[in-house]
Amino acid sequence: MSVTLERPVAAQPEEPPRRLGPVERLTSTDHKNIGILYCVTAFGFFLVGGALAGLMRVELAEPARQVVSTQAYNTMFTIHGTVMIFLFVAPFGIGLANYLIPLQIGAPDMAFPRLNLTSYWFFAGAGLLILLSGVASTGGGAAMGWYAYTPLSEMRYSPGVGVDLWILGIALVAISNVMGGVNILTTVFLMRAPGMTMWRLPIFTWNMVVTAILGLVAFPPAVAAFALLFIDRRLGGHAFDPLGGGDPALYQHLFWFLGHPEVYILILPFFGIITEVIPVFSRKPLFGYLGLVLATIAIGALSMGVWAHHMFTTGVVNNPFFSAMSLLIAVPTGVKFFAWTGTMWKGKISFTVPMLFALGFLLNFLIGGVTGVMLASAPIDFHMNDSYFVVAHFHYTIMGGSVFAIFAGIYFWFPKMTGAMLRERLGRVVAVLLFVGFNLTFWPQFVLGLRGFPRRYVSYPPDIGFDTPNLVSTFGYFVMFAGVVLFLADVAVSLRRRVPAGDDPWGGNSLEWVTSSPPPDHNFDALRPIRSERPAFDLRHPELAP
Amino acid sequence: MMLALFAFGAISGTIYWFVTYEPAGTFLLWSFSLMPLIVAGYLVLHGAVRARPLEDDPDATPDRAAGQELGTFPAASAWPLVLVLGSITVGASLVYGLLLLPVGLAVTALAVLGLMRESQS
Amino acid sequence: MRRAGRRAAPATLVLLGTACSGSFGMPRGATEQGADIFRLWQIFFIAAIPVAGVVYGLILWSVIRYRRRRSDDPDALGSQFRGNHRLELAYMGIPILIVIGLFAASAAVEVRVDAVSSDPDVTVNVEAFQWGWGFTYPGEGVTIVSPPSGEFVAGPQMVLPLGQTTRIVLTANDVIHAFWVPDFLYKHDAIPGRTFVFDLTPTRTGTFYGECAEFCGLNHAYMTFSVRVVPPAEFATWLVLLRAGQAAA
Repeated sequence: MSVTLERPVAAQPEEPPRRLGPVERLTSTDHKNIGILYCVTAFGFFLVGGALAGLMRVELAEPARQVVSTQAYNTMFTIHGTVMIFLFVAPFGIGLANYLIPLQIGAPDMAFPRLNLTSYWFFAGAGLLILLSGVASTGGGAAMGWYAYTPLSEMRYSPGVGVDLWILGIALVAISNVMGGVNILTTVFLMRAPGMTMWRLPIFTWNMVVTAILGLVAFPPAVAAFALLFIDRRLGGHAFDPLGGGDPALYQHLFWFLGHPEVYILILPFFGIITEVIPVFSRKPLFGYLGLVLATIAIGALSMGVWAHHMFTTGVVNNPFFSAMSLLIAVPTGVKFFAWTGTMWKGKISFTVPMLFALGFLLNFLIGGVTGVMLASAPIDFHMNDSYFVVAHFHYTIMGGSVFAIFAGIYFWFPKMTGAMLRERLGRVVAVLLFVGFNLTFWPQFVLGLRGFPRRYVSYPPDIGFDTPNLVSTFGYFVMFAGVVLFLADVAVSLRRRVPAGDDPWGGNSLEWVTSSPPPDHNFDALRPIRSERPAFDLRHPELAP
Repeated sequence: MMLALFAFGAISGTIYWFVTYEPAGTFLLWSFSLMPLIVAGYLVLHGAVRARPLEDDPDATPDRAAGQELGTFPAASAWPLVLVLGSITVGASLVYGLLLLPVGLAVTALAVLGLMRESQS
Repeated sequence: MRRAGRRAAPATLVLLGTACSGSFGMPRGATEQGADIFRLWQIFFIAAIPVAGVVYGLILWSVIRYRRRRSDDPDALGSQFRGNHRLELAYMGIPILIVIGLFAASAAVEVRVDAVSSDPDVTVNVEAFQWGWGFTYPGEGVTIVSPPSGEFVAGPQMVLPLGQTTRIVLTANDVIHAFWVPDFLYKHDAIPGRTFVFDLTPTRTGTFYGECAEFCGLNHAYMTFSVRVVPPAEFATWLVLLRAGQAAA
């Protein structure tokens, strides 16, 4: 059964949206439902990945401690990395995009609703396969590290089905991402409301456009690499096997050609969230809109050219080329930071929970960014590569950055999605616990890396300088754990004892705040003319509208 | 924007070749540059660039688009889930045994047919 | 609300604390190449301080000075400017200059660190395997191999002469490993099917801990080794003794 939609014009009496039953939730093609499915599923994977992290931190807290076998530990960090990257952060961004983009551009749904639902199910299926890959083999599951470098991931060194299931899982995630990317680009290019030019798009939507392009370009070579690996493992191939004339370094090129843009897929949507939150709670327009859009495009383009900075110590790539490109990416990222700061400047800043998380993002991501510049120098990377310095760097950017932005986004858009507010005071406690816990967990890891502690080590000898930082880091994990538990309690309580949010509890800028919370089917009953990048604000302040 | 991405891929791919003479990266950068061309080509072919659509007109108002049909949108569908189950079975057959392959292909084919019939209704 | 301000302070203190430990958190580099890398690290570290300082300062200032006060009208808006072209060009241009400077410093160091002497004083063939190391001094007929691991055993020890250039010839024949001596601030991957060559010129005596730094399977964490740097005379003696011992065995 399908429905023909017309563009809205006259105001119609609003019906409150129906609550969906469980079967409807799993088969509805409405973008809002699919967005929520994505976000909830992704957050579930966050809890799984977080539990694995906890086990690893307990193992590493003291040198003599052995709570899990070495094989189990190796499987845990493999699955932790895979889950957090491919099953939590990236899908959460896509989920939010699915929910918000049609609302932000004034469209009734995404361009391809069934494709949308299909991409969700591919993601869910992929998740199942990846979790299975961790436990499937009797000799232990997939334990080759989330990079799956060859020859370690070849059959000779990783027998059993774990790696194969993992490859299938990643292939499904890639398909899901490509479908999502196609959907996002088509929707934004062809379904905007009248007057919503590309230069009036909310920055979150712009960032998702660049993210979608990155996904479309970056995933296929990686799927090719994994297909070749599968052929090597199961069908007698030797693409990456030196004994058969193959080359392990080729795998690294193909993998990192995805791997690096992947991390920008992991941050750009979340830069977008921050860019939505800061202007609203500073009561100011965004500073330097055009610069921000150009910077996002520049980051996307440059990110395709830096992949081998993960290969500086291999001796098979031209280090200066990649070092130069990697250092250059710092420039558009800096532009974004100055734009955010300029937005706060001379504003009227209110410290709501989304804004607190946004501030935490700024403070954390700066450290992640600066340490990234350090790692972009090949000689410095000769010492730091594959050490905990790198682990700390990417957790500062992905966790201190993207995950903090995820929490900001949840606190910001939960009222829109559910019609109920989250608890402000509890939210502040969550924010403080997460910020303090996060920094306690990962700052000592910079120290560990500098002192010479490599990644992916199940244990370490005592009294050579690794003991105290590891203990502090584990303590920090439990502070974060408390924050996440409180957050879950907040969600449960807020859904049970609802405090109605209304259409626009924050005084938002973009179109989603013009419609009801939650929005009706097909989103808008009526639309006013769009004249700037903040149409909701213009409606509230016609005297200031351009 | 598409042209800019194409230019970036082409230029950096060329520079990369002359700096490194490394074939894998060069091929990757050049093929990256082609994708935006495909998107740009489609947009040009479908008139998104020639005629100025309402969404790109900064002075457009919603009532000018009133009644314009946006397209047909399905209300709900179980076929995506079936499609994925079929795909997973096909994949699993490559790992666990080819006995599963006909089952997986059958379920996938069923889902594809279901989706096609749904589009026609 | 000074919450955000309170939160930034601990981060800065710890940053300074690392610097105050005297070596910017990193070993000083016990080889010529390592010392070069250490100086580069100092440059990056020092460059990071004003950048972080300016950004944190602007954020903190905004958050304190431009916060909504209780006395404000609830509908009060901030100043509605949308941009400042000169400022935007400045904050694009200045980082480009900084980045160019950092690249120049980095490239210069890389050229020196990657340089391989045409006539090294000592050559050591290092072979990485699951899960240990083999050190061979070709031409001297000396080979040292570590026992299979699983616990933190001492591992094989490579002895090198102080002040002389040692060429390391690095191979692996199963999976990818990496040779890392943190005190030398240097590591290199060992990729099956390839042979890599690099030089180490130790500048300090001592015994330095070494590890595998590319995940290579089950006992990746237990592939420790050490490098002992001694004066050249002592090195020559050691070599003679070891050769005799191995010839007898």
